[in-house]
Amino acid sequence: MLIDIIQNNYKIISIVGMGKNAGKTVTLNHLIEEAAINGITIGITSTGRDGEGIDLVTGTEKPSIYAFEGTYIATSEKALKLGDAKIEIIKVTDYRTPMGKIVIGKVRDAGYVQIAGPQTTKEIKAISNILIDFGAEVVFIDGAINRLSSAAPSVSQGCILATGAVVSRDMNKVIRDTLHAVELFKLPEVKEDTLRILIKDIIQKENISLIDENYNVKTLDIKTSLNSGKIISQHITKSTRYVIFPGSLVKNTIEDIVKGSRLIKNVTFVVRDGTKIFVGPVDWLRLCRQGLKVKALNSVSTLAVTINPYSPQGYYFDQREFLNSMKKHLKDIPVFDVVHGGEYKDEIYR
Amino acid sequence: MALEKVDLTRVKPYGDTLNDGMMQLSFTLPIPYGDEADEAARRLARKMGLEEPSVVHSHDLGVGYTFFVVYGKCQHTVNYEEIEVPKVDVEIMSKYEVEDFIKENIKRDVVIVGACTGTDAHTVGIDAIMNMKGYDGHYGLERYKMVEAYNLGSQVPNEELVAKAIELNADAILVSQVVTQKDVHIPNLTELTELLEAEGMRDKIVLVCGGPRISHELAKELGYDAGFGSGSFANNVASFIVKEIVERKLV
Ligand code: B12
Repeated sequence: MLIDIIQNNYKIISIVGMGKNAGKTVTLNHLIEEAAINGITIGITSTGRDGEGIDLVTGTEKPSIYAFEGTYIATSEKALKLGDAKIEIIKVTDYRTPMGKIVIGKVRDAGYVQIAGPQTTKEIKAISNILIDFGAEVVFIDGAINRLSSAAPSVSQGCILATGAVVSRDMNKVIRDTLHAVELFKLPEVKEDTLRILIKDIIQKENISLIDENYNVKTLDIKTSLNSGKIISQHITKSTRYVIFPGSLVKNTIEDIVKGSRLIKNVTFVVRDGTKIFVGPVDWLRLCRQGLKVKALNSVSTLAVTINPYSPQGYYFDQREFLNSMKKHLKDIPVFDVVHGGEYKDEIYR
Repeated sequence: MALEKVDLTRVKPYGDTLNDGMMQLSFTLPIPYGDEADEAARRLARKMGLEEPSVVHSHDLGVGYTFFVVYGKCQHTVNYEEIEVPKVDVEIMSKYEVEDFIKENIKRDVVIVGACTGTDAHTVGIDAIMNMKGYDGHYGLERYKMVEAYNLGSQVPNEELVAKAIELNADAILVSQVVTQKDVHIPNLTELTELLEAEGMRDKIVLVCGGPRISHELAKELGYDAGFGSGSFANNVASFIVKEIVERKLV
């Protein structure tokens, strides 16, 4: 079961998706059920909006969220009124959303709930901690649309990635894009202790910096790497070993650095974690071939990938073929088909 | 004349008598003008659930395509009473009230950066909010005292918008999205949220989107602080921004 991987190992889990209707909420419902069977007290919140029946963008039906007695939820005032579970409000927070303030509730009588959590990852993290303080053993953060930022290790300790036919009509593309997301998530971590200390300090001060072979740090006088690839490249010398990016790392920045400096083969780029990288799969592969090396201060642990072979646009993939190819490519990460899970239990729940 | 009482739990289109369900559609089919075309339009309307469909107008578009206007009776009803649309929940101030509010509560210039982003080239919406002359008798943000408004124009990449916002130390970012075909606006809008998160900026900024198909509810899901639809004016947005700056202690 999915929950076996989580129980006792992780406290805050994010469920993020490759797109709308990829199966995030279905995955959440599985986890809720498995937690209930195992007697685990959970907390639920969301970076978007969940359980509202009809999707705002596609107009298709969305799965409802059924919360069992004892579950802690963090949702907005307006969303709270729209469910039918009986909920005791235990705290009204000062975190605000377009749907009212975030309230913390405890489910007294099981039923359907609508979850609309806070707007920013910092707030999501704070809210998750509040849920834990009240007694949740594991908190699930349901993601929104294709937003992956809640998978950052500064927010959640592990993530479950939901993907599916909705990403593309071409199954190979779905697999390629999913693998790319997972690859960025599990970027190798910088291991050496002296370096980690330097890098942590740089990232905390939010200054783009270079580290040379003698561990000398050079801080650049720029506020962001966006539009600054050229400037960064001009500072790379023969002795530069690392370029540290405290913020984002986007395709154009990398491209400008690669264009501007012939020395990048000796250099490793370091980001906080893989969610800070904005480069598509095709460009990523090309840049890596050109000698790009990227590491992370912390990698994101992808606990599982869930797949949904159906797209709301009306097409679908062969479920076995989709599941098997995804498993083959992902190797050591468990893959679950959230739609047919029950049918192929032996094959899926290994 | 006494009007018949409308049952708001079962609302149906009105033609000339209450609940007759009459509605009008207009559309184009890629088939040549003629009797067969009219019949095709009629059958299509019936499939859509309209009873007694009639083609009241058809027009040859010249390239083997035909345009139709069809009437028919809708059989469905909606429950108006259960509808609740979340709206930006803020007391709307006039331009002068906003200016006073800034003077009293923020006590410095408010920096606002706006753009129509991605592939979208519809500038009229963001111009209506930002440009000097404004829209429909409401001056734009550029005209506000103590507001520094920067309109970056159309087809601005998210990266450039964020870079500019960082450079200018912006208090708020305004994004306009008008083209929504194939939902292109969705990944474009979420990319901006994610980029701001990556840059560590999301908590320091008021993030607002707008456009004819943007709702406040959708904004929530996209990770924005507010969403403004058709008929918005600069002072609506300005009221929200300045109050948000104070409430979130971004002063
Ligand atoms: C003018 C126009 C154009 C002009 C734009 C010129 C320009 N400089 O802006 C041109 C000819 C370039 C154009 C091109 C296209 N257009 Co055009 N265009 C229109 C048109 C006729 C009017 C739009 C407009 O200006 N409205 C007036 C403004 C004031 O209203 P608004 O944008 O809604 O803004 C208000 C609110 O929404 C809100 N708001 C908007 N933005 C923001 C931002 C913030 C922060 C806030 C707070 C509020 C806010 O406040 C504003 C004031 O109240 C509409 C049809 C229509 N009648 O609406 C089609 C329309 C928008 N276009 C459309 C299309 C499809 C296109 C093209 C793709 C056509 C093509 N196949 O090439 C191209 C796309 C080009 C591109 N890359 O973007 C479709 C969009 C369909 C869809 N939903 O996706 C429309 C609806 C026409 C239609 N019925 O099919 N178009």
